[in-house]
Amino acid sequence: MSADVELNNVSVTFGSFYAAKSVNVKINGGEFFSFLGPSGCGKTTLLRAISGFQDPSEGSVLIDNKDMFGIGPNKRPTSLIFQNLALFPLMSVSENIAFSLEVRGVSKKDRQKRADELLELIALEGQGEKKVHQLSGGQKQRVAIARALAVEPKVLLLDEPLSALDLKLRQRMRTELREIQKRVNITFIYITHDQGEALTMSDRIAVMNEGEIEQIGPCDEVYNNPLTPFVATFVGENNPLFGKVKEINQNKVRIETPDGDFLSTMNENKKLNIGDEAIAFVRPESLFIPRDGDNFDNQIEVNIESFEFEGNIKNFYATLKSGTRIKFSIPNAIDTSSISSGTKLQLGFESIKSSILPKAQLAID
Amino acid sequence: MGNYLFTQPFFKKNGKAVAIYFLVAIVFWFVFLVIIPQLYMLDLSFRSNVPPLARGGPQDFYTMEHYQHFVFGSKTSLDAFNFVDLGVFGRTILVSIMVTIANLLFCYPIAFYIAKIANPSTARLLIVSLIIPFWINELLRSFALRILFANEGVINNFLTGIGVIDQSILFITYDIGLYTGLVYAYILLMMFPLYNAIESLDINQIEAAKDLGSSSLRTHWRIVIPHAKPGIVSGCTMVFMLTVGALATPVVLSSPNTLWFPQLIYQWFNMNDNWSRGSAYSIILLIISVIFVLAMMRIFKVKIGEIIK
Amino acid sequence: MKPTYFINFMMGMYIFIFFAYLFGPLIVMSITAFNSAEFPSISPWECFSFRWFNEGKIAYDGQHLAGLLSDWRLHDGIISSLIIGAGVVSLSVPIGMAAAIVLTQVRSQLRDIYYSISIMPVLFPGVIIGISTVVLWDRIAGLGGDGFISDVGRNGIFLTILAQTCFISTYCFLIFVARLQRFDQTQEEAALDLGATQTQVFFKILVPYLMPAIASAAVIAFLFSFENYNTTVFSILSDQTLTTVIASKVRLGISPALSALALTIIALTIIAAVTYEILRRRSEKKYAQSQEIFVKEKAASGRINKEYKAGFKVPKGIVAILLVLVFATYGATQIVKNDLYGQSCIDAADKEKKSKFLEQLQTLESNELTEEELSGGSLGGTEDYGDIFGDPSLFQDFGGFD
Repeated sequence: MSADVELNNVSVTFGSFYAAKSVNVKINGGEFFSFLGPSGCGKTTLLRAISGFQDPSEGSVLIDNKDMFGIGPNKRPTSLIFQNLALFPLMSVSENIAFSLEVRGVSKKDRQKRADELLELIALEGQGEKKVHQLSGGQKQRVAIARALAVEPKVLLLDEPLSALDLKLRQRMRTELREIQKRVNITFIYITHDQGEALTMSDRIAVMNEGEIEQIGPCDEVYNNPLTPFVATFVGENNPLFGKVKEINQNKVRIETPDGDFLSTMNENKKLNIGDEAIAFVRPESLFIPRDGDNFDNQIEVNIESFEFEGNIKNFYATLKSGTRIKFSIPNAIDTSSISSGTKLQLGFESIKSSILPKAQLAID
Repeated sequence: MGNYLFTQPFFKKNGKAVAIYFLVAIVFWFVFLVIIPQLYMLDLSFRSNVPPLARGGPQDFYTMEHYQHFVFGSKTSLDAFNFVDLGVFGRTILVSIMVTIANLLFCYPIAFYIAKIANPSTARLLIVSLIIPFWINELLRSFALRILFANEGVINNFLTGIGVIDQSILFITYDIGLYTGLVYAYILLMMFPLYNAIESLDINQIEAAKDLGSSSLRTHWRIVIPHAKPGIVSGCTMVFMLTVGALATPVVLSSPNTLWFPQLIYQWFNMNDNWSRGSAYSIILLIISVIFVLAMMRIFKVKIGEIIK
Repeated sequence: MKPTYFINFMMGMYIFIFFAYLFGPLIVMSITAFNSAEFPSISPWECFSFRWFNEGKIAYDGQHLAGLLSDWRLHDGIISSLIIGAGVVSLSVPIGMAAAIVLTQVRSQLRDIYYSISIMPVLFPGVIIGISTVVLWDRIAGLGGDGFISDVGRNGIFLTILAQTCFISTYCFLIFVARLQRFDQTQEEAALDLGATQTQVFFKILVPYLMPAIASAAVIAFLFSFENYNTTVFSILSDQTLTTVIASKVRLGISPALSALALTIIALTIIAAVTYEILRRRSEKKYAQSQEIFVKEKAASGRINKEYKAGFKVPKGIVAILLVLVFATYGATQIVKNDLYGQSCIDAADKEKKSKFLEQLQTLESNELTEEELSGGSLGGTEDYGDIFGDPSLFQDFGGFD
């Protein structure tokens, strides 16, 4: 059983400060949905509004088309997995998992049965008697999930649950989470500031900044066609090229910058006019060193400053004529040993792989 | 009772039953055990001393006579001031300050040794040894000193025995026993705040100071003592307050000729059956205590939360 | 490096003197408990005896000096102290807990004021708390006529429970505050989210977490109550607790029975401390073992599994115990050698004293002076207020001579 979650014009204020501002989003039943944003962007506030710890100051939260205002967290069909997991240290693993049944007055035998089922789901069979402090980080993570699933919630809310794990484990848990979601088939709402996590697991993501949603959409759409400069630079890396719109031809836009004119693609929802201040974005992996016969829409001259080796790719940092810094990545499969700092290069990129947006605030790393 | 007092709605946050328990417990404590008795005592201190049956009658009126008595003495007295009571009061405060300073000086080296020099197992042993005497009744500890200091006590017998003196030294009469006992009584309440404060100091800071050429004394003065300030203030406040209000130790150890201020209160209260005057003297003691705490907080710029932990 | 040695030596000396100051009087007092003489002393050693723990003695002049077992006043005092202790624990622990939990919920602007009110009672001198309770309840009792309220308001044990609860609640409060500071509040939220009601959160999450604090608050509350004098002496009215019995005994003359009582308390304290320490170490060890197993399971690297052999070291405790044994043996041989133990010794001593009795009567005047001074009985107060020790009713309370 899964449920739709709908946020209608939700605002949460603390005094005069808006932690969330006029948020509208409809999350479908059974969907894996992520809120992605920097810390302090209001995503945790939204999660608390959905789980019932914080009623919205304006607007409404609907779960299964029912307004949840005034209904406490213990009465909502949601379960929350906390950032620090909040496992109960004085209880055994089984007691932790069966806690929600215990408080509902389920008999001890049935509780044990359900706990065993869930232990199997998270591949911790026979470890129910252990104390929480005897588990490893990944095991604790899984216990927290099992505990949240014990009452069969319709919506599972996850508040950056992977942030405390090391890199390898985090990557493994991503796959595991996704698998569990498919198996139990309920709505997952996930909160993270890590775009990698959001992109790999989610069906759709919402990018948030300063309490407002900047863009909602499937992962590839958000990555490839960002709606705002903030999204363009927060989700993945992007090189901004500042300039003025010179020429518009259907969705192709020519922008004039101190480093030359570039042809870029305009998003149909963000119309531009000639003379507008704009930014063209091109991602590091979309910049290529042209080989014979290549013919790119755009050419750009760079002066290499430094590089770093990352394994599968090599990152280069370079300056343009105007002094603007850009980054580009070359797959390790291509020999780049001749390039070092001071090398002058011509790079090329396709207009379809570049997006142009009206000038606005960028994400600051 | 809402959002003015609490971060979250009180009854919603705790559930009705638990919220009621909290409220009943706190109101009972604050109102019935702390505030009302003090206020009533304050009221009583301004009333004439009448037997219970005459209360509310014509003889029961508000008066300053008890406070006047403290300063000027009884109306029949020829002296301009009540030198006896004022003397007891002044001596109590003065001796309490001296006791506090003595405690600080005695405890500092030990606290520093346990916190920073001794190895962990020695430190544990020393701490446990410090705690044990603390759990023995103050009266009995004073009694132990009394055995030592009595005119035919252990010290006098020993000294006459080996021929150092031929007449008993009057330790009790000259209140040497009392002063020793007062220092002894609350020394651990100086030790533990000091120890906790010094213990939290990063040993690297001391080493860094030494490395930079600071002498030991200078290191203590510039690094350790400023860091331990809250502990020092806390210890001094506790020791002073307890010493100034001490009754058990003076009862056992003070010489018959001198009184400690709480003994004076005891007299008015239990022996002369003058509850009003006893209350007035209590209020005076209370005021001194409050002034002392406020002064410590002011001078050393610490919060009350740092004094009592 | 001579200066360092010198400093270390001085430091060692200082620590020795300090601990001698702390323990010396207690040790001397403990030894006097075994001397059969009626004045607690060491150097004129009469006989080694346990009489002060048992029945006491009938003095040469016919006075009965009660020992620990035969002193019914002491027993009554202990019983009322126990009742009061139980009452104080059952009031101050719930109060302290409620106050500490509410501290986490009041608005930050009010927190300082709230905290100040909570800790105020320990800053009040104890005598004041006792007095204020008595005057208030005397008034309440006076209002209620002769009924139940009047009885309750003039019941010393009831008043003492209230008066002690006033400030002992603060100590409990502080213990709970310290524990709550480390409480992870998301646990409450997690429990709520899992469907628990607020009441269930309190009983299933908060109370189990606070259990160690509840236990130590109960112990502390009991001990503070049991040994309180300053407050109790006012609020107990005509009843007696252990401390007021001790105080009235000490005032009228110091008896080795008190040494025996103190030694008993010291022994109980040490046993309790040692038991606590052993239990604590055991549970710590258990925890460490479970952690170790986990680490071993997790990391199979040999570095952790390697065992370190500790060098042989004489524990300091053993040295201390040996020292004590040496002194004890020396003392015991001295006593045995000089035949200073057993009934025969006591009889001989009493006989000698009786013969001196007449002599003493003759020099009564000078004797009176010294004895009065010893018992703290001579009065030096002015006429304006009677002497604290001159109260005739005190002599009725005195339980040493029966």
